[in-house]
Amino acid sequence: MALGGRRVLEVADEKGAYCGKLLADMGADVIKVERPGGDSTRWRPPFVDDTPDPEGSLPFLYANTSKRGITLDLEQSEGAGLFRALARTADLVIETLPPGELDRRDLGFAALRRENPGLVLTSITPFGQTGPHAALAASDLTLGALGGAMYVTGEAEDPPVRLAGSQAFLAASVTAAASSMIALFHSTATGEGQQVDISVEEVVASVSHICGVGKWLDDGIIPRRRGSGLVASAPSGTYPCQDGTVYLMVNRPLHWRALAEWIHEETGNEEVLDPMFEGPSSNRLPHRELLDLFIGELTARYATDAFYHEAQRRHLAVTPVNTATAVTADPHLAARDYFVEVDHPTAGPLKQPGAPYRHSETPWRIARPAPRTGQHTEEVLCGELGVAPATLAAYRERGVV
Amino acid sequence: MSEGKPGNEALGGLKVVEFSAAMAGPWIGRFLAYYGAETIRVESRQRPDVVRLYVPPREPERGTQPQLSPWFTDWNAGKLFVTLDLTQPRAVEIAKRLVARCDVVIENYSSGVMDKLGLGYADLQPINPELVMLSTSGFGDRGPCSRYVTWGPNIEALAGLSKLSGFPWQEGAITQYAYPDALSALHGLFAVMCALDHRARTGRGQHISLAQFETTVSSLGSVLMETLVHGREPERLGNRSHRAAPHGCYRCAGEDRWCTLSVAGEEAWGRFRRVLGDPDWAGRPEFATEAARQKNADALDAHIEAWTRTRDEYAVMRSLQEAGIPAGVAQNAEDLLHRDPQLEARNFFEEIEHVKKGPVTATGIPLGLTETPGRSGSAGAAMGQDNDHVFGNLLGMTAEEIRECTEAGAIEAPDREAPHGE
Repeated sequence: MALGGRRVLEVADEKGAYCGKLLADMGADVIKVERPGGDSTRWRPPFVDDTPDPEGSLPFLYANTSKRGITLDLEQSEGAGLFRALARTADLVIETLPPGELDRRDLGFAALRRENPGLVLTSITPFGQTGPHAALAASDLTLGALGGAMYVTGEAEDPPVRLAGSQAFLAASVTAAASSMIALFHSTATGEGQQVDISVEEVVASVSHICGVGKWLDDGIIPRRRGSGLVASAPSGTYPCQDGTVYLMVNRPLHWRALAEWIHEETGNEEVLDPMFEGPSSNRLPHRELLDLFIGELTARYATDAFYHEAQRRHLAVTPVNTATAVTADPHLAARDYFVEVDHPTAGPLKQPGAPYRHSETPWRIARPAPRTGQHTEEVLCGELGVAPATLAAYRERGVV
Repeated sequence: MSEGKPGNEALGGLKVVEFSAAMAGPWIGRFLAYYGAETIRVESRQRPDVVRLYVPPREPERGTQPQLSPWFTDWNAGKLFVTLDLTQPRAVEIAKRLVARCDVVIENYSSGVMDKLGLGYADLQPINPELVMLSTSGFGDRGPCSRYVTWGPNIEALAGLSKLSGFPWQEGAITQYAYPDALSALHGLFAVMCALDHRARTGRGQHISLAQFETTVSSLGSVLMETLVHGREPERLGNRSHRAAPHGCYRCAGEDRWCTLSVAGEEAWGRFRRVLGDPDWAGRPEFATEAARQKNADALDAHIEAWTRTRDEYAVMRSLQEAGIPAGVAQNAEDLLHRDPQLEARNFFEEIEHVKKGPVTATGIPLGLTETPGRSGSAGAAMGQDNDHVFGNLLGMTAEEIRECTEAGAIEAPDREAPHGE
C-alpha cells in the first residue's frame, strides 16, 4: 500500500470525511474519532432500505471506507488524554472543528507537536484559522456562494445554483489530502511537522478560478452565468439529440474544421465552411448563436449514443449528458471494473464508486467497510494504547468512550 | 502566505518534468513548483497548448498572444519552459535525459500519445526505476473509449454532475470553470504525493493513470450511492437540502445580487425568524416544523425573498451571521478581490511577476502549509524561454550541441520577443 504504515487520526464532519477516505483507501491506518453515540453525519440520508439508522447512511458509508472507528468524548479530560496519546502515534491528524476548539481542550497543534515533532495537523474549516470571518457560520451552500463558484453556475435568468454532492466540502477534502501529503513529504525529510490550514472558501475560489480575478482583471468582464457554453470556447455547450443531450466543445482550429465538414457533409450547409469561422475560438465567438443553429441541425439527426461515438471517431470532444442511472451502467466504466462492492453488515454487498486513480504498484482498494459506531474502540484503546479492559469499562460507564 | 524562506520549501529538491497542455496536467505542476519543486515543462509547436492560442479580448487586433492568457499564469507560474519537437528521435533522447534526472513526470496528452512518442512509462521506467509518472486523460489508458477526447465540461456531462445539479425546472447545470479539470488536478497531486511517500519507504517508483471520468464519478459518490444501491435516479435539488429548510439563494436589492442561507433545525429557525422581525407568515403552521417547511418550500422561499430583495446582499449576510445563521453572498470575481475582508486579511490573492505584463494579481493557492509557505515564480514564459539554462546548465549539453540540435529542429528555437513594454 502506498501509505502503508502511515497513521491518521480523523475528527471530521462532512468537510473532512472524504479526505480521510482518500488516505485510508491508499492504505493509511485512518482512525475516525467520533463522539460517544456516533457523529451526526451518520444521520445523513438516504439510508439503506430507506430506514433511518446510524449504520445505514449511504453518504456516510461511502465517505468512511477503509477507516477504523472509535468513540471519544474530547470534552472530558480523560477523552482528551486518550486523544493526545493516540496523536503521539500518528503521522497526521485531520480535523474540522471550529478554530480554537482543539486549543481549548489542550489538543491544539502546539500541544500535540511537543510530544510528536513530526506530526502534521490538517485543519479544514469554512474560512481558515485566521481572519475576521474565521468564526462565521457556514454550509456547503454558503461557501460555494462566497467562493465565487455559484455566481457563474446556471442560467442567466435564474438564481445562481450549486453543484450536487456538496462539492465545496468535497474539493476542500481533496485539497487537504494533497496538502497533508506535501507536509508529510517535508516532515519525512526534515523531521518537522506543521499545521495545514485549509479554508473551504479559498478552495472554492481556487477551483473556480477560470472565472476568477485573473480573467476579470485581464479582460474587464465579470464572469456571469451563461448556461452551458464556456465563455471562451466557441462553439461549446449542450445540444439536443433525438433521445437526449450531448455536450460538445471545440477550441482548436483543427476541431472546428472537422465539425464544419461534418455539418456540411450531413446537412448540405455551405455557409458553415466560411473561412471567417476558422482559426482560434475568438474568431467564432461573435457568431456563436448562428453556429449553435448549424450544430443543432446536425445533432437533431442522431440518437445520443450514435452522435457521441461518431463525433469521437472524428476526434471531436463530444460526450453524452448522462443521468446517474446511465453513469452506473456506462460500458467504459464497466470494462474497467470501476465500480466495486463493499460488504455491509446487514444489507450485504453494496455497490460503490471505485478508484479515482490507478497506481501500478500500490493499487487503490477498499480495505474494509465504514466502521460501525465505536467498532474499533476496544481494539485501538486496549490492543494498541494498552488501556486495561477494566479501565475501558469505567470509561464506558462515564461516557468517555 | 508568499514569503517562503529559501531553503525552507516543502518540496525543495524535487524535480518534475511535464508533458502537458491546458489545465488538468499543468495545474499539478503549478502546485509542485509553488512548494519549491523544479518543474520543467516541455512544449512543442507541433502540439501547441490551447492556452497559447489566446487572443486578448481587449485588443483582438494584436492577434494570438501565447504569453498573455491569465489562465496560463494560473496554471504555469514558476515553471521552466523548454521546446522539443518530440517527433524527432533526437528530441526524444533529450526528453529522456530530462526524465532520467527527475522524480516525477506528469503528462496529460491524449491517451496513447506518449507511448507513440516513445515516452510511455514502459520506455521511461528502465532509465529511471524510481520514477513516479502520472498520466491523466478523460477516460484513462484502457477501455473501449480510452482514445476519446474531452475537455472539463465534457466530463461534467459524462459523469452525471450536470444532470444532478441545477434546478428541477432546468435540464441540469454545467460550470463555467471546467470543474473536473480542477478536481482531477487536485486528485492527481494527492496521487503523486502518495506514490512519493511509498517511494521514500521502498525506493520503488510507479505509474499512475488518472481517468478524469472516474475521478469525477468518485467525487459524486455521496449522491450516486442512491442509484448504485437503490437503483433510483437522485432528485435534482437545486439549492435545496434534505436536511435544512430554508436552504437557498435569494435575490437582493442590486442587479444580479444574491445571498445564500441555510437554516437547519428548529432552534436555528427560531433565530432566523427573529432576524426577520418575527413576521406573521413565519408563525403559520405550514412553516412550524422542518418537515412542514420542506413541504412548503416554495412558499417559504417566496416569503424570504420578499425580505431579501429590498436589502443589500452584504447587509443580509451580516444580520443573519450576527444570529449565527450560515449565510453568504454569491460573490463574483470583483467581490472576491474587493469586498471580502476575509480573503483580504489572509492575503489570499497573490501578486505574480509576469515577464511581459509586470506584476499581475492572481487567485491564490489554497494548500495552506503554514510553516513552509509557497511562492509563485514568474509567469508568462515564452516558448523555449529556458532552453539554454535547462539543456546547458541542468543537462550539461554544450552550447555547440544545443545549437546543432536547434538547427536540426529537435530543439525548437525559442520565441524571441521584446520583454515587458514592447
